[in-house]
Amino acid sequence: MKKLRSKFNRQTITTILYPVLFGVLIAVLWQTQLLHKIIGADTFTLPLPKRIFGIITDNWSNILINVRATVIVALGGLVLGSLFGYLLAIVATVFPKWGSGGLTIASAFNAIPIIAIAPILNNLTKDFSKDPNIRSMFAKMLVVMITCTVSMSINSYRGFTELKPFSLDLMESYAAKKTAIFFKLRVPNSIPYVFTALRISVPACVISALVSEYFAEYVIGVGRQIRENIVLAQYATAWAYIAIACGIGIVMYVILLIVEGVLLKGRR
Amino acid sequence: MKRLYLRKISALLMMCVLLITALAGCGKKAENVSDNAATEAPTATEEALTPTEAPAATEAAGPYYSADASVESVVTDAAGKGMVGNWGLGNEYEIQALLTKYNQPTTYLSQAFDMDGFDDDSILLASAMTYNELGLVKNSYDGGYGYGDGVKYIDMNDEGVAMLEDNIFTTGKFAKENPETVKAFIYASMKGWAYACANPDEAAQIVYKYGSSVSADHQAYMAGEVKKLVETDMTGAAVTNYGNMDDTAMQQTLDLAKKYIKLDDSAAADKLQTLTLDDIRDTSFFTAAAASDGKFTPEKKDVSIQLKWLPQAQFMGYYVALDKGYYSEAGLNVKIVPGGGDIGETTAVYTGQVDFGVTWVSNLIAAKAGGMDLVEVTQVYQRSGLVLVYKINK
Repeated sequence: MKKLRSKFNRQTITTILYPVLFGVLIAVLWQTQLLHKIIGADTFTLPLPKRIFGIITDNWSNILINVRATVIVALGGLVLGSLFGYLLAIVATVFPKWGSGGLTIASAFNAIPIIAIAPILNNLTKDFSKDPNIRSMFAKMLVVMITCTVSMSINSYRGFTELKPFSLDLMESYAAKKTAIFFKLRVPNSIPYVFTALRISVPACVISALVSEYFAEYVIGVGRQIRENIVLAQYATAWAYIAIACGIGIVMYVILLIVEGVLLKGRR
Repeated sequence: MKRLYLRKISALLMMCVLLITALAGCGKKAENVSDNAATEAPTATEEALTPTEAPAATEAAGPYYSADASVESVVTDAAGKGMVGNWGLGNEYEIQALLTKYNQPTTYLSQAFDMDGFDDDSILLASAMTYNELGLVKNSYDGGYGYGDGVKYIDMNDEGVAMLEDNIFTTGKFAKENPETVKAFIYASMKGWAYACANPDEAAQIVYKYGSSVSADHQAYMAGEVKKLVETDMTGAAVTNYGNMDDTAMQQTLDLAKKYIKLDDSAAADKLQTLTLDDIRDTSFFTAAAASDGKFTPEKKDVSIQLKWLPQAQFMGYYVALDKGYYSEAGLNVKIVPGGGDIGETTAVYTGQVDFGVTWVSNLIAAKAGGMDLVEVTQVYQRSGLVLVYKINK
């Protein structure tokens, strides 16, 4: 038992240590400009980490305003899209004849590029509110929602239908009603699949929130700042916002992993 | 076989159901979103937009502005409603200067590259270039909105907030190493511009031939308007010395740029404030080209120029110079690279992908502040082509 634990610890340590070491190595190469020599860049298009970090600390309050706008859009879209996707999966499970085929078609929505739907949704939501900030935030959330719906519906549909062998037979042998089967067997079975879907959706929702900001009517958000600064040739500032965008994605993913670890403890 | 058929139909039905539920879902979400956004609004708009009462004169006769409304009343009303539009991305400084002139907050709506926002009234005071969007709004040819006399506009030149736009620039290093090439390029380009301004209709056709993003009618309109920008300065006086770099106009551009270009990078922001005219432009090449006999021995013969936007009469001088062989007469083999979307012409020139570029002086100043070694060698447009267009009550 003791041996097992030490082995387990060593494994977790190495899985964390190696990526961290690699990150430190890159950061050192970057700051010492060796990285620039390797990939043939200059300090203008790829500014040094120290300068990027300096810009982040200098403009912290301004960055927070943009981060807030982006996170609200990403989380709002994620929640709406996931709920809607789960609902679609339930509908598909209740009507199995249409279900799987319908979901296959629904997955086609996933193939629509964000760049194509963002401007369209912008125009469609013009009547939603008189305040451009509200209506453009609504348009952005719809974009994120579309990207999050499909993975949730397909994964949770699998969770509803791919049950453990004989568990359905067992329930039926007890003469359980369909609703009982659904709530006692299908729903608990779908939870791990929900987290599989979220593992796809969480990074996707951040990316689609950033891209939808490019086309939004109201000028706000981390993605918009990246675009503005690159067009204005302010690469150091653009990199600062890129770093922030990475941070948002990583933090949200880590939160998801922690929640998953707590909720699914002993289930995997 | 029959079952497969049935399945296909049921799949189609399912798709319809999905679509309907999707649309229903959209409607339901409305409440949530407005909750979120409402709490966000006060912090997001730093400069709180305090709605001001529209002047009585503008409201009396209809939803828009009266034909004789003053510039101040129109700007105050539209800004108070938060319905002034601009494309952003470095095109907004003149608008912000105008808003500041009339004591309004400098926030604006992000305008798309069409005039649909103006058409559907989500933008009351929309940015437009005299040679492009203004023509689309007024005219009724293909792609136009056909407003005719139903719109009026505010000219940045008249308001004293004009900034210089299309120029020719290169890197300081390229200019130093290839002075003859730069002179030859300026000479041939300005010869092209002179011909284009003398024959705008022919120039429009030449541009159309080289791949146009817009209709032939709009191209012809554009050529006529661009001619005015090349031949008239900010005060309205005629310019005969095409491509001249006027110090007064350049200084006004630099002063406004220092005031309205906001850079988060403190090193770049500090550098911006120290810039002088000599940092951003070099008149020696233009003077030498103007005095020359048209014979050059360029150090680099194959050169390229990055346009700021898609092929259109905005750049007719270069296409004319290419088509009429002015570039080859000067010993150059020129390739014109169209822009569009988010292509950063300053970055393209700085990284050496192209040798010359066309950009707005304000964009060059921002790039220079960011650390790019760029220098303007010719100023093609002598006045600002940016206007704010608004609808008037009939």
